[in-house]
Amino acid sequence: MTTTANTTTQETGFLVYDRAVGMTVMEGKGFYYPVDTVAGNDDRLYVINRSKEETVRGIRVTICDRNGGYHGNFGGYGFDGGQFIWPACGAVDSRGRFYISDERLNRVTAYDPTGNYLFHWGQAGSGPGELDTPSGLAFDREDNIYVADAYNHRVQKFTAGGEFVSVIGAEGPGAVSLPWGVATDGQDNVYVADFGNDCIKKFSAGGEFLARFGECGRGDGQFTKPASVVVDQDGYIYVADWGNERVQVLDSGGNFVAMLRGEGTISDWAANFLSINQEEAAARSTANLEMEIDYVTDDPHEESSHIEKYFWCPASVCLDSQGYLYVTETNRHRIQVYRRGR
Amino acid sequence: MLDANIELIAHLLRRAGFGANRQELAHYQSMGYEATVEELLVPKDEQRLSDYLIRRFHPELSGMMGPLASGENWLYRMATTNAPLREKMTLFWHGIFATGYNKVIHGKALSDQTRMFRKHATGSFRTLLLELSRDPAMIIWLDNQDNHKGSINENYGRELLELFSMGVGNYTEQDIRECARAFTGWTIANREYMELRSQRDSDWPYGRISWHFEFHPEDHDEGEKEFLGERGTFNGEDIIDIICKQPATARFISRHLYSFFVADEPPVPEWPFTPPADQEAIDTLSQVYFEQDYNIGAMLRVLFNSDFFKAEEARYRKVKSPVELVAGVLRLTGEFDRPRYEILERFSQASYMGQILNNPPSVEGWHTGTDWLDSGTLVERINFASKQIGDATKPGIGSMVDRIASEMQKSDSPEMLVDACLEEVGALAIDEDTRRILVEFSGRGSRGEHRQHIADLLRMVAATQEFQRA
Repeated sequence: MTTTANTTTQETGFLVYDRAVGMTVMEGKGFYYPVDTVAGNDDRLYVINRSKEETVRGIRVTICDRNGGYHGNFGGYGFDGGQFIWPACGAVDSRGRFYISDERLNRVTAYDPTGNYLFHWGQAGSGPGELDTPSGLAFDREDNIYVADAYNHRVQKFTAGGEFVSVIGAEGPGAVSLPWGVATDGQDNVYVADFGNDCIKKFSAGGEFLARFGECGRGDGQFTKPASVVVDQDGYIYVADWGNERVQVLDSGGNFVAMLRGEGTISDWAANFLSINQEEAAARSTANLEMEIDYVTDDPHEESSHIEKYFWCPASVCLDSQGYLYVTETNRHRIQVYRRGR
Repeated sequence: MLDANIELIAHLLRRAGFGANRQELAHYQSMGYEATVEELLVPKDEQRLSDYLIRRFHPELSGMMGPLASGENWLYRMATTNAPLREKMTLFWHGIFATGYNKVIHGKALSDQTRMFRKHATGSFRTLLLELSRDPAMIIWLDNQDNHKGSINENYGRELLELFSMGVGNYTEQDIRECARAFTGWTIANREYMELRSQRDSDWPYGRISWHFEFHPEDHDEGEKEFLGERGTFNGEDIIDIICKQPATARFISRHLYSFFVADEPPVPEWPFTPPADQEAIDTLSQVYFEQDYNIGAMLRVLFNSDFFKAEEARYRKVKSPVELVAGVLRLTGEFDRPRYEILERFSQASYMGQILNNPPSVEGWHTGTDWLDSGTLVERINFASKQIGDATKPGIGSMVDRIASEMQKSDSPEMLVDACLEEVGALAIDEDTRRILVEFSGRGSRGEHRQHIADLLRMVAATQEFQRA
């Protein structure tokens, strides 16, 4: 039973569970199918809400913080500047400007740190500089932006203003398939969540293929449809192992370090909801939400749909300046926060 | 003119699947008719759009907080699978065991039910009824969570006999009550919380939580019961055993299969008063039901290989349901080779034609046959099919146009162009009046814009009455 607010943490070794942020809300203070979280200036969190196609509601970027502070939202459904249809991933440049990719409109849109629309760029196609379903975004130290160009099966590098620079991962042993998340480290190496090949690929700042981490599977160090990757200052690699409904940590050489399945508790916002809706809170308090079940399939996606504390569609991992790890769970409309335990 | 063997296989694929284009038909023809039936019944290697891709680009299609997601997810499968009979049979069972979102208010539970139908679609009817009785969406749909020892709720017991297995006239009110007693204690886990969330359509705080079956022995009536002439301390499983061995059950399922795959029968409430159109066919299928341990796949094998199914007069006698029509069109257009935003709009088209998957009008399901057609829905059906099939920017249609354009000479007759189009959309056989209109249209085309003319002719083909039928 998980009906009390964040008052305790649980030791998981390398990473320690800290708290949950968010709850299911179509508008305002909460999330609706969040697909990515980005830490901006002062560790403000930009949470991208994908929503669903049957409504124009819910689609927005929520600004909040780890302590449950809510700082508004911006953007919304539409084709005009500053709007989006299928928002996917975000990144923040050195000036704190927030960028978001749109998989439907094939463009990248920039906002100032408070969410005011600045400009957008991108054009559908398969030629150099053109995009087909742009997903993950990441900046290097020079403020160039990498874009996971999913259905062109490559990652493209642009200036922040959208000028095409180069392509990586388009062919050879480093070729990627349906890339999703992308990240850079302190040396501007590039890491790609290679969704189609069930691995993480590492490239140099110059675009040279350096390494492949993992293979398809459910064991330690294996991946199923990875969605997101991020690297900390010590070189540890955190992967949203989305198809396995977990997060894995690798060392800089790609060796398995730790795995998280999820420990979600009631966030402050959720606790507030339950304090107001006491009938639901009372019914929830009698429910066993960690029941052992004989599942129809061995797909952990099924288990996650039953056990609320587990990650369900962990689509994004993100680190803030203090080293807190944010795991964004699309189907739970929640972020689980972890910190380094050792 | 079309080859007779191709026409027969096209008939099979329209009924056992959602139709097939020229290339698919050529593939099945090379296998032969009986081998095609086997491939449909026992698919060796199912290929379809990956669940992972659907889930990645449409989170709602796995999170399922709205009323449409479970149906959209299913439509993807119908439109892309190479094992179409599995989906057709899943649709068949959904039509009989009709369960709707408007009461369940939980798309994931409905999607789980669909998965259960798919798993047991061509297996033992006994197993299917047992799984149905344990299915959380069905439990909520027919209130079995309120069926308690000493305080029964007859809803599930009644429909199990009336709509799911035997039909009225084959049991008594006392049998219904005894049946309900046997299913006391069959409920869902965390009933109070889950039921409350369902009633309030509450996704708070963290989205959907899947349901699962739970048996409460303390709430189960262990007492002696008398059911269909047998006496014992029956539980639900015993009741299903007794139901399955009834001749009425064999006739009921046989008539449903005949109606779905051969020719439309009147709605189920009329069955006690209207004999089957082909009693001999029902008797044949009923016999297989008992000989093959209630195995549905064995019944289908006999049905698809029977003369009553293959007969010329059986063809185009069925009106495609809206979902069958939409799925068939999407298979021809090849539009969903990857997840696309447009799946919702395509799914919505079926609702404009009168059918929303996982949301039937009542526990009786949909009334089928010509009941699908009225002046409004017919216009929707024709407009949808014509618009999609006439759009050469769709990959499947573009390929058809390219093939026809490359194989046809400019000097070829309008009749030959019509034949080529009919063959491409699935060896469609049309009557003489329709043919005359198409040939006249074909002859009017501009040779300078040959591709566009072919696309326009395909658009006309999709508007024919035969295209609307199976």
